[in-house]
Parts: sequence; structure tokens; C-alpha cells
Amino acid sequence: MNYNWDWNIFFKSTGIGNEIYLDWYITGLGWTLALALAAWLVALLLGGLLGVMRTLPNKWLSGIATCYVELFRNVPLLVQLFIWYFVVPDYLPESVQIWFKQDLNPAVSAYISVVVCLGLFTAARVCEQVRTGIQALPKGQSNAAQAVGFTVAQSYRYVLLPQAFRVVIPPLTSEFLNVFKNSSVASLIGLMEILAQAKQTAEFSANIFEAFTLATLIYFTLNMSIMKVMSIVEKRVRIPGLMVEGGK
Amino acid sequence: MSSMISINNVNKWYGDFQVLTDCSTSVSKGEVVVVCGPSGSGKSTLIKCVNALEPFQKGDIIVDGISVGDPKTNLPKLRSRVGMVFQHFELFPHLTIVENLAIAQTKVLGRSKEEAEAKGIKLLERVGLKAHAHKHPGQLSGGQQQRVAIARALAMDPICMLFDEPTSALDPEMINEVLDVMTELAKEGMTMMCVTHEMGFARRVADRVIFMDRGHIVEDCSKDDFFGTPRSERAQQFLSKILQH
Repeated sequence: MNYNWDWNIFFKSTGIGNEIYLDWYITGLGWTLALALAAWLVALLLGGLLGVMRTLPNKWLSGIATCYVELFRNVPLLVQLFIWYFVVPDYLPESVQIWFKQDLNPAVSAYISVVVCLGLFTAARVCEQVRTGIQALPKGQSNAAQAVGFTVAQSYRYVLLPQAFRVVIPPLTSEFLNVFKNSSVASLIGLMEILAQAKQTAEFSANIFEAFTLATLIYFTLNMSIMKVMSIVEKRVRIPGLMVEGGK
Repeated sequence: MSSMISINNVNKWYGDFQVLTDCSTSVSKGEVVVVCGPSGSGKSTLIKCVNALEPFQKGDIIVDGISVGDPKTNLPKLRSRVGMVFQHFELFPHLTIVENLAIAQTKVLGRSKEEAEAKGIKLLERVGLKAHAHKHPGQLSGGQQQRVAIARALAMDPICMLFDEPTSALDPEMINEVLDVMTELAKEGMTMMCVTHEMGFARRVADRVIFMDRGHIVEDCSKDDFFGTPRSERAQQFLSKILQH
């Protein structure tokens, strides 16, 4: 294959203002981070709540959480995004609709759609991790928590959740990585995150291989760093005398 | 003597299977009652009914004048006054020993952190584990963990204590350190209901012995009667099996 690799392309002018291609990637990284972090926050809070709900004895609460999980987990992410971006806004009250479609910067309305979509989608997955984390704890722990006089809420707050969250750090890390990877769907509704910037760079410069190689490297580096950070967190919160020696 | 725990015609089913049948007994203030019997006889289930960790479908249990089965009863409040010690210790592994002793005092009884920890340390001293206050449960031996668990229950100033096979999960050489703490507690006049197979402990400490088999209370008599002349054949068999060594 005859292809002239040209890694200098990223430092060349895009022809738009004073921008070089690298600037596009930096902007793209900014959007990717903003998307993933906001969506993760939504996913963690909502998913944590749903995960707890699924372990409660109340049939209604656990039923609601189960329906949520089945709904959001069984519809493709891309379909969900199109629904949030193209369909849902049409059903909002008129004033909100005008604000969303006309007053907002198009990038911001796309951003809101993706954060909502990705946050709610990932919440279903976080829910399942949290639920298994809680159910993996010995039954005696919740008995002991109740026996000292804790209410159900206090049992979760002081006894079950602090242990469950430690157990689910590794699977949650992998969900966190998924959020970054899945945030690339935003490129399909025109939000200029990393993938969209790479596509644009490829089209403008015709250096398609370099353009996507850099995008790949950015995603890879980002996710590897998160994995490192999370493994440090995991070690930090490890319970002395437990898990280290394999537990008992 | 006034009755601290009174169990009246308690019946409990798991689905179609009846685990407790017409169980009635009572524990007076300051009394030590040992509950024994073969595995699966329902003794652990019965003791867990006393603080409503296990629900029961028929009958009622009154603890210090409060009905456990009444839906209007504030169960967390009742449980905070009844100490419980489990077979598998069930200390909170993510908290240090002193935090294990302090957390329910602060969150349930509303004591200050300083007060709760001071009380915790005092109780640790009493069970001989003050030096381990800042370790985590996983760093202690089974016997030490169980002594901490007893101290955790005592930290709430309980009106009575429930023990659910407190020595069954321990290595033999650790059983005595736990029984010693329990014996001392009994001597101080604590009201205790203990599910245990430790017949030596029962002989030394118990006022009364309850023998259960297949969900029924078969014997409910004074210690001397139980070890002297158990009335039921089933209890005689049980005793002859566990006392022959």
C-alpha cells in the first residue's frame, strides 16, 4: 500500500482562522471529558439509587427499578440517543421546546441530550453492579446492622453500602471506561467531540490514517489513566485484614 | 421475678414447612436461659424471633412489656435495647474495632462521638482487647472478634442479651475466652438467652435449660432437673450423645 504517513499534519493550519488540526482534537477532548464526566455523575447517582431499590423488600420499589433496568439495557444506545435528541424535545412544554431548539446553542442542546441519554443508559448498568455488590454481602451483616438498632436506611448508609461500593469498584471502573467510549455516539448528532473532530480532520486533510490513529491514542491513553487511578483508589479504600489475604 | 422476655404460642412457617410450633417460655429479669437441641430444631430461629430479625406468623413475644409482633412497634428502637451476638460475629469489617463499638451509640442513641468512643474503649478493656481498638475486625482472631461483638452489644446498655451459637464458629482453643466473658456477664446479673451446645457453660451458668426438637420446646426446666433427670426421651438421647466425651 502506498500511503505517505505525515504526522506533521496535526501542526498544520486547518485553513480556518489560525487553528491547527491539533486544536480541534483539544476541543474534542474537552467535549468528550465534559460529556463523560457529567453522564457518569448521573449514572452513579441514579444507578446507585436504583441498585439499592432492587435489593429492598418492598415489591413496588424493586419492581420499578427492575423495569427501568430492562428498558434501558435492552434498547441500543444509538436508538436511545436519537429518541432523546429528535423525539423527546417535541413532547416538552412549548416554552421549554423553544428554549431547547432555538435559544440554546445547538452544541449545548446536543450536549444535554447526550448527557441525559448516556447517563440514563449507564445508570441501568451501574444499578446491576450495585445490586450484585449488595447481594454479595453476607446476610448476617444486615441482621447485625438491624440488631444494633439501625433503621433500614441507616443499615444501608453505615453498613451495607460502604462495603458494597468497595466490592464493585472494579466493575464500576469498567462502566466508567464504557462511558468514555460510548460518548463517541455524540458525533452522530453533530457534537464535536474527539471522534467528530477526527472525522472532520480526515475530511479536511485527507490524512485519514493519522486522523483516526490520534483519536485512538487519545481514547486509549484516557482510559488507561482512568484504570490506573481507579486501581489506586481501590487499594486506598481496601479494608485492612480483608480482601488482601483473600479474606476469610 | 418480673418477666423480661415472654414467648407465647409462637408459630412460624417457611412456606408450608413449620419451623416453630406453639413455642412458649419466658425469661425473667436476671435469668440465664440456655436453649439447646439438635441442628434444625428451630433454636436459632426462635432466638431471632425475639428481636424480630425473623418474623413469625402466630403467637406473640413480649420484650420488656413491648410486643415484638405488633406492626406499630418501633422495631429499631426495641432492637437497640436488646443486645445480640451472632455465630459469625458480624462485626462491620470496614470499620475499626472502636468504630464498631461507637457507631450505633452515636447514630441510634445520639451519644457524642467522644462519649461513645470512651465507652467503647472501656468495654474493650473489660473484654481484654483495648490494645486492638484501632485495628479492623479482619485483623483479629475469631475469639477476639466475638469478644468485640459482645462488647459492641454491651455498648448499647442492653436490657437483655441474645446469643445465637456464639462459640460454634470458633476454633476449640478460643471457645473459653468467649465463654469466660459470657460467664462474667451472667454473674453481673445480665438477663441472657443463649443458644449454645456448650453444656459445660449451661451447667455452670444457666438457671434454666430449654431443649428444642423439630420446632417444639420439649423440655423447659431448671438446670438441675435437665442434667439430673430430663423427662423426655429425646433430651436423654441428646444429652447422652453430647456428654459422653
